[in-house]
Amino acid sequence: MNEWLQFVGDHLPELWLHTGEHILLTGVSTLIAIGIGIPLGIAASRHRWLRSAITGTVGILQTIPSLAMLAGLLALLNRIGTVPAVIALVLYALLPIVRNTLTGLSNVPASIREAADGMGMTRRQRLWMVDLPLAAPVIVTGIRTAAVVSVGIATLSAFIGAGGLGQFINRGLALSNHQLILLGAVPSALLAMLVDASIGAVQWSLRRRRATRMPAWLNRLTRTAAASAPILIFAAGCFAVLTPGLFTTKDGSANANKGAVIRVGSKDFTEQLILGELMAQLIEQKTGLRVDREFDLGGTMICHGALVGGAIDLYAEYTGTALTAVLRKEAISDPTAAYETVARAYEKQFDLQWLQPFGFNNTYAITVREADARKWNLKTISDLKSRATEMRAGWTSEFSARSDGYPGLQTCYGFQFGSVRDLDTALMYEAIQRNEVDVICAFATDGRIAAYQLHPLEDDLHFFPPYYAAPVIRKATLEEHPELRKTLNLLAGRLTSDVMQRLNSEVDRDKHSPADVAREFLLQNILNTRDSF
Amino acid sequence: MISFEHVSKSYSNGDTYAVKDVSFEVQEGETLVLLGSSGSGKTTLLRLINRLTEPTSGRILLGDADVATQDPVPLRRRIGYVFQGIGLFPHFTVAANVAIVPRLLDWPKERRTQRTHELLDLVGLEPAVYADRYPDELSGGQQQRVGVARALAGDPEFLLMDEPFGALDAITRDSLQEELLALKQRLRKTIVFVTHDIQEGMIVGDRIAVMHEGRLEQIGTRDELLRQPKTEFVRELFAKPAAQLGDSSKS
Repeated sequence: MNEWLQFVGDHLPELWLHTGEHILLTGVSTLIAIGIGIPLGIAASRHRWLRSAITGTVGILQTIPSLAMLAGLLALLNRIGTVPAVIALVLYALLPIVRNTLTGLSNVPASIREAADGMGMTRRQRLWMVDLPLAAPVIVTGIRTAAVVSVGIATLSAFIGAGGLGQFINRGLALSNHQLILLGAVPSALLAMLVDASIGAVQWSLRRRRATRMPAWLNRLTRTAAASAPILIFAAGCFAVLTPGLFTTKDGSANANKGAVIRVGSKDFTEQLILGELMAQLIEQKTGLRVDREFDLGGTMICHGALVGGAIDLYAEYTGTALTAVLRKEAISDPTAAYETVARAYEKQFDLQWLQPFGFNNTYAITVREADARKWNLKTISDLKSRATEMRAGWTSEFSARSDGYPGLQTCYGFQFGSVRDLDTALMYEAIQRNEVDVICAFATDGRIAAYQLHPLEDDLHFFPPYYAAPVIRKATLEEHPELRKTLNLLAGRLTSDVMQRLNSEVDRDKHSPADVAREFLLQNILNTRDSF
Repeated sequence: MISFEHVSKSYSNGDTYAVKDVSFEVQEGETLVLLGSSGSGKTTLLRLINRLTEPTSGRILLGDADVATQDPVPLRRRIGYVFQGIGLFPHFTVAANVAIVPRLLDWPKERRTQRTHELLDLVGLEPAVYADRYPDELSGGQQQRVGVARALAGDPEFLLMDEPFGALDAITRDSLQEELLALKQRLRKTIVFVTHDIQEGMIVGDRIAVMHEGRLEQIGTRDELLRQPKTEFVRELFAKPAAQLGDSSKS
């Protein structure tokens, strides 16, 4: 418990900020959804021909998986961050609001509507004086559903760099750190309950009550207080975002250096976070430029999209991934040829520059438990051939689908595994440790190989293409700050596969933060004096 | 004065008629009862007056003006309407319900309040007790009194009442009918009153128009209908009250 309090205490400034961001994301998107959804619901209730078009469209929007929606908007808008996240949340919030507006309005009894018309109300007067007030309880229920669902979906916005409590969850998943996951999940669950209760209070305040013994002014006061509960939460969110330093202790001066900002991105797994920190800290130390960290972006295409669109300036990419996933070309097994091919293509197609590789090759490694490897004397992938049909494989979904993943592996080695499950990267390692799968597609430099006592098998047929990592940077940024090339190339060749695996395991097994691991490495190997930190 | 001139209302392109070639007049200050069974077209006639329904042919005049040429919104504010289902707004207090038309007419607030209290008094509801209640806290009879007060609030020249007492129990209905008689003496409004109840029609109406299957069978005073029925339908309809009348005059 104490440990927990300590942990929460250490993360209080971030928790404060991310909770604020989360509230803003949810609040702004719900408000926009109300502004769009209620008029749509009114239009649908008036025109029969519009009804199926509107309800059909918002219904279909709801069925789009959240991540697909985020990725789609990212591609469409060509930017990461708050805007696509808010748009996605608005689109999801529309269905309950539109549907409940429509239901609420059509539940107004015909006799009441007739009376309103017969007394000489205009259409607008009837809407404001009769239809909407009578439909209000149902509409507010829809808003309540929308807001609570938004709190949940907003956790996914961290995948595209929109911040919020999802950032803890993503990082926790990336680092297999349960405390971090809970640090995001528990507050977001609490927030959902709070939002639910606050809109419940609004509903209570809307409910007409019989004559009470309460004095009229007190009655009015309690109702007003209840009705403004969501506003209070929203205001608290704004306050949190505007005062990010409220819980920061004294070392809030790290970014005091004024000047240009370099935005460093990373994907959402340990190695990427360490590489991101290494590059970010090196830039901070050597150039005096300010660095914004846009970490934990949800995958290759999101990082690439962000880089091309100019939402980030650089991130670390792997040659094999660039070749097959981004450029959609055949894998090339010669490392130098692969690097040169991607460097040339990136420059020509995207105006992006590949700097010198860090040195390690993070290729896929078909990996089994060390105990199994010993028992059955497994050394190479070919050794699996006789056992494969009895083995359960756990792949990342990317590996399952990519031509340089399982489909190609089957052709090359000529066997298949008994069963295949698609798993999240972190869960894949958990699963093999818990005997739920027998073979996984680990990454060669992954710290969890050592941490979980796993055994990577040699790719004896040289099927997997090389995955050498290197910084990829926008040419425009490089032209503006040419010193970045020299600075980042300080890391060239310094991170061998052994070194990278060690750094990864310091995070994955020893639970050090990527920032600490990166700082320690830079101090010992790249920067000469401790004074500069 | 309200005049119907060869008014027809047909549905499904003339296959069925709710009202067929109806002509009659409602005199200034009189209470005309539209009497008929359901489907006879009596409610349609009422709704044609304030343009809740539009005629297929013919015209309806208020005074000299064809209602079809008038904007329905101000037209309806000049015509009080008491609805069959009462139709009080459940989210408004009694006072707010009564004050709707004055509010739509932009009367100043004091005048609205004064008028509301005046009308609640008129229909026998003590303002201090009832003004701040909500409709569902009232009995059916009280609700309909509010309905009447609401219809009168804008001081309309015409009052349309669509089976206003239809949903009430017999005792409440009797006393409200009595009150309506007293009220109409005081107000001298032109009233069109729809009912399917012959007794009620005979109590309330200065004249009665008998509707049957969309046609006007006969229009006349109670005595004319009782003693000189022009059609077989009217004769049969009034046979029982006529017999009772005969009995009572004998005894």
